[in-house]
Amino acid sequence: MAAGGGGSGDPLAPAGVPCAFSPHSQAYFALASTDGHLRVWETANNRLHQEYVPSAHLSGTCTCLAWAPARLQAKESPQRKKRKSEAVGTSNQTDLLALGTAVGSILLYSTVKGELHSKLISGGHDNRVNCIQWHQDSGCLYSCSDDKHIVEWNVQACKVKCKWKGDNSSVSSLCISPDGKMLLSAGRTIKLWVLETKEVYRHFTGHATPVSSLMFTTIRPPNESQPFDGITGLYFLSGAVHDRLLNVWQVRSENKEKSAVMSFTVTDEPVYIDLTLSENKEEPVKLAVVCRDGQVHLFEHILNGYCKKPLTSNCTIQIATPGKGKKSTPKPIPILAAGFCSDKMSLLLVYGSWFQPTIERVALNSREPHMCLVRDISNCWAPKVETAITKVRTPVMNSEAKVLVPGIPGHHAAIKPAPPQTEQVESKRKSGGNEVSIEERLGAMDIDTPKKGKDDLQTNSFPVLLTQGLESNDFEMLNKVLQTRNVNLIKKTVLRMPLHTVIPLLQELTKRLQGHPNSAVLMVQWLKCVLTVHASYLSTLPDLVPQLGTLYQLMESRVKTFQKLSHLHGKLILLITQVTASEKTKGAPSPGQKAKLVYEEESSEEESDDEIADKDSEVSDLFPVCTSACISSYSVRMRPS
Amino acid sequence: MVEEENIRVVRCGGSELNFRRAVFSADSKYIFCVSGDFVKVYSTVTEECVHILHGHRNLVTGIQLNPNNHLQLYSCSLDGTIKLWDYIDGILIKTFTVGCKLHALFTVAQAEDSVFAIVNKEKPDIFQLVSVKLPKSSSQEVEAKELSFVLDYINQSPKCIAFGNEGVYVAAVREFYLSVYFFKKKTTSRFTLSSSRNKKHAKNNFTCVACHPTEDCIASGHMDGKIRLWRNFYDDKKYTYTCLHWHHDMVMDLAFSVTGTSLLSGGRESVLVEWRDATEKNKEFLPRLGATIEHISVSPAGDLFCTSHSDNKIIIIHRNLEASAVIQGLVKDRSIFTGLMIDPRTKALVLNGKPGHLQFYSLQSDKQLYNLDIIQQEYINDYGLIQIELTKAAFGCFGNWLATVEQRQEKETELELQMKLWMYNKKTQGFILNTKINMPHEDCITALCFCNAEKSEQPTLVTASKDGYFKVWILTDDSDIYKKAVGWTCDFVGSYHKYQATNCCFSEDGSLLAVSFEEIVTIWDSITWELKCTFCQRAGKIRHLCFGRLTCSKYLLGATENGILCCWNLLSCALEWNAKLNVRVMEPDPNSENIAAISQSSVGSDLFVFKPSEPRPLYIQKGISREEVQWGVFVPRDVPESFTSEAYQWLNRSQFYFLTKSQSLLTFSTKSPEEKLTPTSKQLLAEESLPTTPFYFILGKHRQLQDEKLNETLENELVQLPLTENIPAVSELLHTPAHVLPSAAFLCSMFVNSLLLSTETKSAKEIPEDVDMEEEKESEDSDEENDFIEKVQDTNNTGLGEDIIHQLSKSEEKELRKFRKIDYSWIAAL
Repeated sequence: MAAGGGGSGDPLAPAGVPCAFSPHSQAYFALASTDGHLRVWETANNRLHQEYVPSAHLSGTCTCLAWAPARLQAKESPQRKKRKSEAVGTSNQTDLLALGTAVGSILLYSTVKGELHSKLISGGHDNRVNCIQWHQDSGCLYSCSDDKHIVEWNVQACKVKCKWKGDNSSVSSLCISPDGKMLLSAGRTIKLWVLETKEVYRHFTGHATPVSSLMFTTIRPPNESQPFDGITGLYFLSGAVHDRLLNVWQVRSENKEKSAVMSFTVTDEPVYIDLTLSENKEEPVKLAVVCRDGQVHLFEHILNGYCKKPLTSNCTIQIATPGKGKKSTPKPIPILAAGFCSDKMSLLLVYGSWFQPTIERVALNSREPHMCLVRDISNCWAPKVETAITKVRTPVMNSEAKVLVPGIPGHHAAIKPAPPQTEQVESKRKSGGNEVSIEERLGAMDIDTPKKGKDDLQTNSFPVLLTQGLESNDFEMLNKVLQTRNVNLIKKTVLRMPLHTVIPLLQELTKRLQGHPNSAVLMVQWLKCVLTVHASYLSTLPDLVPQLGTLYQLMESRVKTFQKLSHLHGKLILLITQVTASEKTKGAPSPGQKAKLVYEEESSEEESDDEIADKDSEVSDLFPVCTSACISSYSVRMRPS
Repeated sequence: MVEEENIRVVRCGGSELNFRRAVFSADSKYIFCVSGDFVKVYSTVTEECVHILHGHRNLVTGIQLNPNNHLQLYSCSLDGTIKLWDYIDGILIKTFTVGCKLHALFTVAQAEDSVFAIVNKEKPDIFQLVSVKLPKSSSQEVEAKELSFVLDYINQSPKCIAFGNEGVYVAAVREFYLSVYFFKKKTTSRFTLSSSRNKKHAKNNFTCVACHPTEDCIASGHMDGKIRLWRNFYDDKKYTYTCLHWHHDMVMDLAFSVTGTSLLSGGRESVLVEWRDATEKNKEFLPRLGATIEHISVSPAGDLFCTSHSDNKIIIIHRNLEASAVIQGLVKDRSIFTGLMIDPRTKALVLNGKPGHLQFYSLQSDKQLYNLDIIQQEYINDYGLIQIELTKAAFGCFGNWLATVEQRQEKETELELQMKLWMYNKKTQGFILNTKINMPHEDCITALCFCNAEKSEQPTLVTASKDGYFKVWILTDDSDIYKKAVGWTCDFVGSYHKYQATNCCFSEDGSLLAVSFEEIVTIWDSITWELKCTFCQRAGKIRHLCFGRLTCSKYLLGATENGILCCWNLLSCALEWNAKLNVRVMEPDPNSENIAAISQSSVGSDLFVFKPSEPRPLYIQKGISREEVQWGVFVPRDVPESFTSEAYQWLNRSQFYFLTKSQSLLTFSTKSPEEKLTPTSKQLLAEESLPTTPFYFILGKHRQLQDEKLNETLENELVQLPLTENIPAVSELLHTPAHVLPSAAFLCSMFVNSLLLSTETKSAKEIPEDVDMEEEKESEDSDEENDFIEKVQDTNNTGLGEDIIHQLSKSEEKELRKFRKIDYSWIAAL
């Protein structure tokens, strides 16, 4: 894991705060912020795991940090025949974290115990520690400092094992070779040391500014036919302060080539670098470079010899705030670090402020050259102490959520006419449309207007108001009519209303029924009247089922609890009113009853079905007689035979 | 992988942490709790497991700190041993074999070489408290057979035994009586609650007991929620008790604080009550702890408390009643309705957690990530209340949608059902409720599944219910002029002859939906929702249904209640094969064609892994668990393994986890136990070396000086005291053979006299010396003063020669005097 250096007044100090993911599964993210606090975050649930303040955090701020290789912990007992009580999973627990400070001391902090484990001072550095690297096998620690020296520490004994002068200027970065026998060090030039003898093996030209990061990118040589001595043929990567180029170098057998093999170009100084090691020739190296401007550049490249032109990134990731409305424009959110997950297909991004970073796992899609993630981190500033302890997350439940209760459209499947049937209806309509020209229609309207003029006396009457209200969709007008409580008035109005307004009225009633229960009570009166009076008309409609399906569902759900009672009630009312209505309608013809268009309907199965249904309806025990009858016939059709 | 071991079943997520009271270390840095066969050591600061002490061969039933060495820990187990551990390094120091099942362990500082344990010897339900003498021996394995009986016919639970007032007495409760045994008098007093026979006080049973650390006071908890404080129990008749009553339900545990000023109690209400000064008025509460408090313990330093809860967690609480840390295992409180799922986003295992919550458990780090509060209602923990249960949950569209179903059924006919559809908001990185559906069905929902085909443009969800219908819900655009919105609506309702819909499942490409109606499987086209075909085997109700994947996508598998596993070919619409297998769990692997089925027999559960294309299983493992397996799931691996042998290839890309009836999460591992058991020598252990702090410089140096002084004085004393060997009387006494010695009475006075120092001579000698010393000091002081003056004068004026001569003569005089003195003393010393 690479770690950037601590920010300070020094212009040649690397940008960014020291931070690192824990090895193997990236379960933790350690970040030493500029206020001297060390915070360890859990990457899986973005929770502050622990916070540690070194006693000398003001004088000796943390300049670099490195996780120790995973501590193997014994957690299992051999299985016995009867019981199985073993633990698996956490066989490798990461624990120690090494912190280098500005005054030259190195602290070892135990993240399991949450306390300082030991402090390496004696015989060490007397100036700012720039980089710390753990040796992967031996448990040694290597550190380099502004005092030009490299120190090899024996961590078990907390003592200096070896100390040697690494450069003429300060040594700013270290890296251990994959086989653990060599060490790369860099100030401005890069040196490769043999660890056993502490002799320089190779020199590389390096950068113009202090090298801030060094990393081996391959663990096997590109040419596998030759015998491999552990180092020759390997590539490594270097990045430097104020340098927008990352150089790739190759360790060669002949000591001639000192310049870089190739380079990657990024938009700003690299702050944090992570890569997936390529294990064979075909596998490309994936590289994620976090720049000081808060972007992440992803490179995917098969390292194979020279390349003159600097390579540009395959993909750039940026994060920004949503920015709603005019006031807040989207603002970029800086990315602090990025690490590849163990599956090499997703990236852990750390973004936001170092005080309260957000950690997110992002799946990589190599096809997109630019990814801009919109994230709202405004609520992240709120203190999360409570959730940190109880580990309860409350998902947002706001009023914007859609609520479906029985009867509301969407709760039950919308009743659609069977596809062939609709075609028929459409064709009928088409044929009807062809028969009647626009002129004829206008003529029909012309005839209609004088009629309305004749009925001027009745303009204030309810049927006309209702008709006009339904046609113009005038809320006020409809309210005036529909909010009456007089049952007789309702009956008369329904009797006199034109037939073509029956369906719009029913739809209006349905809409109102879904509303407030108080108004729904009034609507029930209307509904009852309409259904009883115009039952015969409704049963002749071919597309009744889709038109009144929601009303049927609504009624079904509302009356479910006292189904039987209301069924009986409805049946009786139907009988009584049918008898009385048949007498009354003879005398008083309703206005506007004359058909404007008449066309012959082709006889279809549909009608016969409806007729049957109509017959059924008289026998059946349904309150909303016709609709339910139609729908029951529909459901018969729908039911797989 | 070089050589593969056999596949072993291993436990995941650990055992219960709340089986016994947790124990704090003396410095409150660590907390110990029993967990199955292990003792776990947690850090109280970081909640991390520092060590797992393994060595017991059966359930660990008790742990206590060694009162004589607070860096050591005793543990006892049902395997009949008491083990002594060094918990800082996690090393087993000693094993004491007792030989009978130990159910609890107690230590008392006063009883130095013995501990107390609860054993049952003869009959299975008669328990005794015995004192076990631990012999001192240097060997690691010691037999400790010396048991002395203390109390008989006691309760099995360690909560019903308490040692009081520095081990003077032990109190035990059972049913309606409290017995107190006094160690010195060796008598037992027994107090029966007078009203225990009374109907009104029928719930008077004792449940737990605690003793005051310094006073003679016993606190007992009762079934009816009362706490009684007993005093004066030395006398069988004059005893008194006072009552504290806040709990409305059984008092689960009691604990006195270290100083004894306050008493802690807890129960089903999930509220920790602190009674200050043992009065009813002064009480403090820490409410909403989430689950029943089962145990309470107090750290020896007195700064921390901890409560163990029935949902497998330990809460560490500060002295000021503020929770500071939670050690949470896999929540095991309640039955699992939702089954096991994998969150595609976090790759965590998802199942029922706390009441009304879904828990997200990370299998990689073996830790709970968080609980997602789905029901969002205050949970009232009371007996007899019918709670809203989270019965079903499913993830869809790569974790972008989460569907949850909650239900509450008070009576047979009164069912409350609610389905919630949550959308994952990438901006805020959390779930937001999108649609809430009341009563999506008339009856319980039996199955819930999303269409997870990759190319499906419209998210689709299917619910199957006992009311005989299945509903298809789709995401539609609900935008209006005010806002852009999406919402779920019902798209299609299907049924088949009013049979109960029991299962539903989408094919891999999402083109077909299979819904089982009791014995019949129906296949529906997912575009037109037409019934394509039906399969019926007449072999009982379908219990599990799943499509084959990848190359086997033309097969549909169904397992019936009568123990038949059927495989239908969807192309020929015919039965391909069937097998007699009583399948309890059937899970397809998302990454391969394999399907795992767990069958249940009277002996145990067996695992079969097969491909639908052939009835021959790829792998069989018998006896994976003795219990019934309830749920299973394949978890895709991050990094694929590379097992070469055919039998293990099914584990290459996914890992199989399953959950048994007792809610232990198990999985398969091929790693040999040795591989996982790393000896402590291999661990990277860095020595602790902390540099000296300023405090050390102040206090430590001071102490060092003091120590030196002490040593000096000791040395002085030693010099002054004549060595015993030098006294002739003593040497004579020691060197003379015993049989020639005169009687001891005769020798005694002579011997004592010889040891006495001759004071007169010494004091005479010392006094003048002291005077000399004082004089010397004075002269030295004056010397210094003079020197000072001298210097001052040197710097001020060097011209006055006479003065200097005068001064010099003075100093010379003094020097001479000093020399004289020194000479004298030297001569005197000679």
